[in-house]
Parts: sequence; structure tokens; C-alpha cells
Amino acid sequence: MSKIAYIDNQPFEMKDGETILSFIKRNSGEDLVPTLCDAPNLDPYGACRVCSVDVALKSDGPVKAQASCHTPVMEGSYIFPSTPRITKLRKNIVELVLTDHPLDCLTCEVNNNCELQTVAAKVGIRDVRYPAGKNHLDKKKDLSHPYMTSDFSKCINCARCVRACDEVQGQFVLSMAGRGFDSHIIKGMNTTFNESDCVSCGACAQACPTSAISDVFESKSVVPQEKVRTVCTYCGVGCNLDVAVADNKVKSIQAPFDADVNEGHTCLKGRYAFSFYDHPDRLREPMIKKNGKFEEVSWDEAYDFIASRFTEIKKTYGPDYIAGISSARCTNEENYLMQKFMRVVIGTNNIDSCARVCHSPTAIGMQRTFGTGAATNSIIDLQYTDCMMVIGANPTASHPVTGAKMKQVAMKGKTLIIIDPRKTELTKYAQFHLQLRPGTNAAVLNMMLYYIIKEGLEDKAFIESRTEGYEEFKKEILALNIPELEKVSGVDRNLVRDAAVAYASAKNAMSFHGLGVTEHSQGTFTVMLIADLAMITGNIGRRGVGVNPLRGQNNVQGAADMGCQPYQGAGYLDLKDPEVISKYELFYKSPFPKEIGYKIPEMYDASLNDRLKAVWIIGEDLVQTDPNTHHVKKALEKLDLLIVQELFMSETAKMAHVILPGASFLEKSGTFTNGERRIQRVNKVVDPVGNTKADGQIIVDLMNKMGYPEPDYDPAVQLKEISGIVPFFKGVKWEELGINGKQWPVLEDGSDTEILHLDTFKRGKGKFIHNAFKETAEIVDHGKEFPYIITTVRELEHYNSGVMTRRTRNSRILKEDVLLINPEDARKNSIGDGELVTVESARGEIVIKAKISDEMKSGVMSTTFHFPEIMMNVITSSISDSEAKCPEYKVVACRIRKK
Amino acid sequence: MALTKEIRFNDETMALVQRMMKRYPEGKHKSALIPILHIAQAEFDGWLSPEVMDYVASVMKIQPIEVYEVASFYSMFNLKPVGKCLIEVCRTSSCWLLGAEDVIRHLEKKLNIKVGETSADGMFTLKTVECLGSCGTAPMMQVGADYYENLNLEKVDQLVSRFKAEGKRKSYTDQPEPRSL
Repeated sequence: MSKIAYIDNQPFEMKDGETILSFIKRNSGEDLVPTLCDAPNLDPYGACRVCSVDVALKSDGPVKAQASCHTPVMEGSYIFPSTPRITKLRKNIVELVLTDHPLDCLTCEVNNNCELQTVAAKVGIRDVRYPAGKNHLDKKKDLSHPYMTSDFSKCINCARCVRACDEVQGQFVLSMAGRGFDSHIIKGMNTTFNESDCVSCGACAQACPTSAISDVFESKSVVPQEKVRTVCTYCGVGCNLDVAVADNKVKSIQAPFDADVNEGHTCLKGRYAFSFYDHPDRLREPMIKKNGKFEEVSWDEAYDFIASRFTEIKKTYGPDYIAGISSARCTNEENYLMQKFMRVVIGTNNIDSCARVCHSPTAIGMQRTFGTGAATNSIIDLQYTDCMMVIGANPTASHPVTGAKMKQVAMKGKTLIIIDPRKTELTKYAQFHLQLRPGTNAAVLNMMLYYIIKEGLEDKAFIESRTEGYEEFKKEILALNIPELEKVSGVDRNLVRDAAVAYASAKNAMSFHGLGVTEHSQGTFTVMLIADLAMITGNIGRRGVGVNPLRGQNNVQGAADMGCQPYQGAGYLDLKDPEVISKYELFYKSPFPKEIGYKIPEMYDASLNDRLKAVWIIGEDLVQTDPNTHHVKKALEKLDLLIVQELFMSETAKMAHVILPGASFLEKSGTFTNGERRIQRVNKVVDPVGNTKADGQIIVDLMNKMGYPEPDYDPAVQLKEISGIVPFFKGVKWEELGINGKQWPVLEDGSDTEILHLDTFKRGKGKFIHNAFKETAEIVDHGKEFPYIITTVRELEHYNSGVMTRRTRNSRILKEDVLLINPEDARKNSIGDGELVTVESARGEIVIKAKISDEMKSGVMSTTFHFPEIMMNVITSSISDSEAKCPEYKVVACRIRKK
Repeated sequence: MALTKEIRFNDETMALVQRMMKRYPEGKHKSALIPILHIAQAEFDGWLSPEVMDYVASVMKIQPIEVYEVASFYSMFNLKPVGKCLIEVCRTSSCWLLGAEDVIRHLEKKLNIKVGETSADGMFTLKTVECLGSCGTAPMMQVGADYYENLNLEKVDQLVSRFKAEGKRKSYTDQPEPRSL
């Protein structure tokens, strides 16, 4: 029997756990009951009492006013949402609020978009009857921060900001201090936004019903004429953004509450770091370098120049002397077009993308064990998991929205295991922090597997029915030399055992990994060990489990899906298989190259050996971000033709022969695929600035120039073609993606997939493959001479090479790269905080400011690579993952001295 | 006023703090915050500086803001430096009727400060408070853990001289003195 309650004597069915407010909203409309302190993404609170309704146990029984937002609806109760008694009560409450509120609505930034204003109008306030008394109208504004602003004279003490800070971001910067009339919002210990620990996520500004907390873009003002929903261009979380536009200019960005991915939240990059798009530095015209200087040319001249040079090189040397590097920042459709251009128009498999320096080991490692190189589960699974294991990732900085969700889950008491050389923010919430020496992930994971078997915690039924190769695998694990692994990794074996037991005995355990796993000489093998851990404990194929790479760039998943890899075409079809080649030839009605192409690091070697003459790079700054800068520069200098398609004059663009100005994500449409395989619509917000063009259109134009007829760039058109060749895109249609996109594989009928490998692995049975720990050549060859290890990391405020974020106010928050150094190491080398240090490796040296921090263990240092002033990658090595050729950014042997 | 020592509980105090936290079930040790703040206030010059509160947060493994919000709620936590003797004079009805105002004015004059201020020698801070529940012995004041009752101006003079002579910091956590004055 369903349970019933009444609204104005009308019976309605109630749902379990429902509040009176949600019950009324569901049955009598969203707007019937006014609210102030209630917010869609926050827990019920009950501060303002504006949502009060009368409740009775009998239809004509005595009534009692109850705050509907946090009172559970009771079976058989009679609810009267708008009796004269209640409307009078609400009016009185709001009137009292207004006695301590500046009534300067006309000049207020949120005029016409203020919840207090709306509620006051709704309850019919015409006058405030109380005389002016004590108030807070003289509170000073806080304009100290590059983004966040506050004006607490407008605060109504609803605590929505405090709850957003706690429940959404988990930052605990804001709170309510004092009591009674003196209650007021504080930032840290009564400081300013700028001096507090605020991470500028903007959740409080979006939550505030008035303009008491806002931002410099006045994102709650009604100035914009329209809002366009699109997807963030920064990390692989794939936050949906509501972009407010006026007169073809972006005014501000907010996070939509109905977005499955980010549920009304995003970080300071997504919300505030957009102003790069019309920065004066934007490249606005195509340019050709003539006599050593760039000259602006027409698009036609640039196209003619490129087409003739490509044709010439192809004729003289052959198509394999040309290569393309596509961008994980571009849309699926653009990546698809780029690989098609290289393969079908030029006739070479020399096509790669920045996935190479990022998660290529994940793709290969997971393909070998599971059959699919993508996250097995979805971020929503965090709600269902009992244990999170985060390996080599710092999500609160690099994937902030996922990081914030992990903090919330950990604070609810779920187990958190961190395997990382740094004390990342998440370690504060973790039960286990395995602070290993960089380069020894494989050692620690092997130890975990050993203890799981030793303690008899394997999931025997799962191993039996779903996997193969276990017996051989087990033999090798049991033969491990644990004391030796303990010694190299520097992690106490008992701690490893306890963490392994926690992971293996959790009902549902979920692993996450980042570039701290992949960017190693054993990257692919480490990914396979993570997959082994999931299989041995049966953590695959249901809610709250799995192996989940935190994809770095917004569309790094998509770039690989679309075939921007030299050994796999669109849809990961293996180019070594002659049947695949015939399939592509039939599909493209054109000959298809049969030789496997160069991966990015191989392109450098090819150029230096005169085997490569032309490279076309889209949206990647190889010089600043690829390892071993001197080597990269030498290789690029040697090319006959370097085409760089970019937003800004990056370090790589400076070396180009031709520069093509591309359009940013705000200026074009298409789809991005996030880290949980979700294909989401990117919608054009403003017209391309200057004379720039969507990257896809540039590729199409060049295809046509080179005699291959291709229709204009239009995501709907290209997606249709993609769905014909990429198996897991079969049912993807531009018009049907909706506001929240679809997770691949998308079947022909349009249904999508949240969890992979439910009953069977893509490859049939999951395969156990053992990979022993092997010391990287960097340490073996240089460890004696260069005794310290430096590992590269990222900070929240900046994105990779920083070409975009450095051109926003983010650079006021974080101004430079610094070297994090342990106090003991600093003392030994007489280095003081803020002093300059020379860091030297076998490749070269950099000079960088030291920051003394216990975030790193003694012997290990870290730094970011966001600023071209430092050029961190001068010292990183050309060693790369044995399988995927992903560079080993994470282990650099070095020595230091005070400058 | 600069802190006179490093912000760190000595071993004995730390043991006490740990015992306070163990009074509560696992995961609920946050409840020990108020007694621990009293200990911290007594230990670090009679007031809770941001640094002291951060330290308490780190000892208790809770967010600093959780300490600030509690400390700012209760009037017995001082968020600004105070003198060694914080004199809290009750000004609620019974005391007021029996001469609390005279006591306050007398103290202001004698110590050469206004209510809310600290004397130049850092010895005294004068504060008025609401009812301390000792109406039967009004007017009264509290200094540290002790009540001083049935006050008159002469008695106040004696007390001030005595505190000065002792030169000791008075804390809420001191053991109460025997009743007789």
C-alpha cells in the first residue's frame, strides 16, 4: 500500500524520505512555497523559516507551523501551504529580514535576479513597519580577491555559502561566527577572501541568494541576454557550464544544477578562467614566417602554401615523411577529421595526439587486461563505493570537482587509500597514505597483490568464472622478494599489507589513477597491476567498483577514440590486421596506409634522422610540455615544414613556419568525451574572435585544397560519419545527445552504458599478466651522480603549459613555478625559503625558487611546468614507457645547489 | 601582545588533551573542543590567537573553521589579548541594583582603563558580563575560576592590590580557591 498525505485536503502519494517541501514541489508545483535558505545542491537546513506551512493530523484538527524544507512528510498528515495565517507569518519573517538589509535594489548587482527580492515580492511586502534600529548596513565590501567578492551588508544569514563551502567543495573556509544579532559569516579567522584558504571554486557565490557573496564577473546580474550550455575545456571531468553572453561577449559562467557530471559545481578554471578567449595575445590572423619574421597572410595564402609544401614533400620523400599531432583540447569531430586528413588525404599513419604524454599507457594496459582502454565505471559510482584507492593522482588540484566529491565521500567515513610520493590534499582525509619513492608504483602494487593472496582475500569465484592466467600469475606474485620491494619503495610492508587488506575486504572498492601512474617507464605495466588488483578482488562489473583513470584533458579520451594514434584507427581498430585495413578502405573509398606510424617521441627521432620533414601540430605546446626540451627543439628546428595551429604564440608556435589561428572552445561546436566515456555537446557561445576559425573547419578547408571533397565542419555531419565506423559510437546522433550527453558504447537504439564489463569482459576473459618491478634507467644510469629525484606536478590554478590560465586572473593567484623541497634537504643544502636553486639533471639545468614544505619526503622534490620562464622540461628525460612511449616526467634524477 | 612561548602543548597538557578526547565515542571526539579550548587559552597567555586555534585544530584533526566558529560563539573565549587578570563584573539586575555600576566606575578609575580595555602594564582587563548566577551575593565579579562576592569599593581595592602583588595569570581552569577571602 502506498502512503498518502494531503495538500489542501487533496490526497497525494508520498515517497520515502521526502520532506514536506519536496512533497509539495512534486505535487503542487515548484513555486508554491517560497524559500530562502533552501538550495538544490545542499542538504535541508531550516534557517529562514520562510518555507513554513501549516500541518495538522486531521483535516479540521489544530495546525502547527513547520519549516517544510527540513521536516519529513508524515503519513496521513494534512498540509496547508498557503493559509492566511501562514502567508502572514511569511510576510512577517521577510519583513524582519528587510529591517537589516539595504534597500538599494536599483543599484544592486543582482537586481531582478535576487531571491530575497523575489520572495519579498511574492509575500507582498510594501512597507517595513519597524523603525530603523541596530543593523549591519555599514559592513565593508571585500574586494581583495581576483575573483571572489563579498558585501555582508546584504547577508541574510541563510548559511547557504557556508554549506556550499562544506558540502560541495569541502574547503571549510566559510562559517558563521558570533551569536544572536552578532552572527556573521567569516572567511577563515575573520580574514579576507584573498588571505583565506579559499580555492575560488565559486560555489558560495552561486549559492548566495543575494549579492552578499559574488564574483568580479557579477555572474548573478541580469545583464547577459542569453545563456548557452556547453562543456568546460580544461580537465577530463567534463563539467557542464552555463555561459552568459551579451553582445557576442562572454560575461560570466555558472554551473547548471541539472548537469549529471558536476551537479551545479565547478572549479575556478571552469567558472572564472575564461577571459583568455579574447585576450589581446590571441592569434587572430594566419601567419607565414618570411625571412625569419611572421607576416600576416590571408587564409587562402596560408592554405596554398601548406597544400603545395605538403604535396611537394609527399612527392619528393613519400607520405610517411609527413606527420600530424592532433589535440585532446579539440572536439571529437576535429580529431576525427585530423586523423582522416593524415590517413586518407596524405596517406600516412603518422598521427598522434597529446594522449601520448598522458594516458596512453592506460589505454594499452587496460586493453590488454580488459579489452577496453577506458574507465570501467562512472563518477556517480562514488556514491556507492566503500573504498577509494587513489594512485598517482591529485584530484583536488587536477580534477577539482571529482576531488571535491572524493573528499565528501571520505568525510562520510568511506575508506581512502592514497599511493603517492606527495602529501596531497586528499591524504588529510585518508586512512592510508603509502608515500612511496617516485618510480616504484609497480613495487608497491606487487606487494599489495602479495598480501591479498597471502591473507586469502582473493575473490575465487570471480577469478574462476571471469579471468584467465591466474595460476601462473599467483606463482610469480608469491615468489616476490618483499623485503627488497619494501626497501626500494620506502613504504613499510605492514602499512602496505593493511592497505591491501582494506582494499580487498571492502564490499565495493574503486580505484582511480592519474599521470603519477602513467608517466613512468613502467606506466603500462602499472596500469595492468591496478587492473590485476581489481580482478583479484572481484571489483569489476557493478556499481561502486572498477578501474577509473582520471583523464587529464577535456577530450583526451575522445582523441584516442577517434583514432589519433599511429597504430589504431578510428574506434581503436588494430592497423596490423589486414581486415581492418580493408574495412577502412571500403569506408573511405580510398587507399589506406598499411605501415604503423610514429608516436610523438618517435617523430623527434625520425626528424633528427632525416626520416620526417613536415609536422602539423594542433593545440599542443611540445617545446614547453614535452620532456627534454633541447632534444625537442633540435628535432623541430630540423623540419622543412612546421605548421602550428594555436590560440596563442606558444613556445612551439614561435618555431613554426606557418601559424594557423584556431578557435577556442567558446567559439565552436562539437563533442568532448569526458573521463567516464560521456560524449557531451559543446555548443558555440560566441563567434570566433578576429579572423580565427574552428580547428575542424581549417582541416576541412585543407582537405578541399588538397583535392579531397569534404563537407564543411558541422558536428552533426561528422558525428554521422563517425557513427558509421566507430563501433561504440553506433547510436550517437548530434540531435539526441541531450543536455547530459551519452556514455559510450552507445548502441544502435541510442541506449548508453554507465558500467563496462558487466557480465563479461570486452576481450572475453580478463587476463592476469604479471609485471615485476624494474628500476627506471634514469635512476640506474644517473642515480649516483644525481642523488635527488624531482617529480613534476600541477597546481589547481593553472592548466598544463598555462597558455590559457596565465592569461586570466588565475595568474594573480599563482604567479610562478616553485620547487617544493623538504626542510631537511633544504637545510643540508643551505637553501632558504624563497631562495633561488639550480636544479641540474643529465640533460640540463634550471633555476627556480625554493619553497620549503613537508609535502615531499626527504630526497624527493616536486615542481610544476606552467610557466615558460622556468622551462622545467629542460631537465626531464627522454625515457618513456616501454609500451606506450608516454614520457617519464615523474622521475628525474637531479642534484641541487643554491644559486 | 606577542606570545611568550612556542605554540605547543607540553607533554603533560597533551596527555590531558588526549584524555579529554577519549571521553567521547570514536569519531565524536570533536565534542571535547570546548574543554580543550579552555586548556589552550590558559596555556597560551589567556587568549586564543588564530595560530593557537589552528594548533588546536591540528591536534584534534578537525577543520580550523570548526574551532573559530565555536570560539567566537562563547564569551568566555578571548579572541584578543587580555591582561593577566580578566576582571568580569556582573551587571545584570541584582548586581546592578546593589551597586555594580559603582564597582565598574571605580575599577575604571583605579585601573585607568575603560570597560573592554587592558591596563598599560598588561595586568588587568575589565569586562562586564551578564548574570553569573550569584544573585544572593551581589554585587559580584569573576576573575579566573573564582567568584568575588558581596563587593564594595574597599574590597575591590584590596583585591586589585592582591592581584597586583601576586602578579599571576588567572585562568578559568585554575583550581578554585577556598571560599573565605
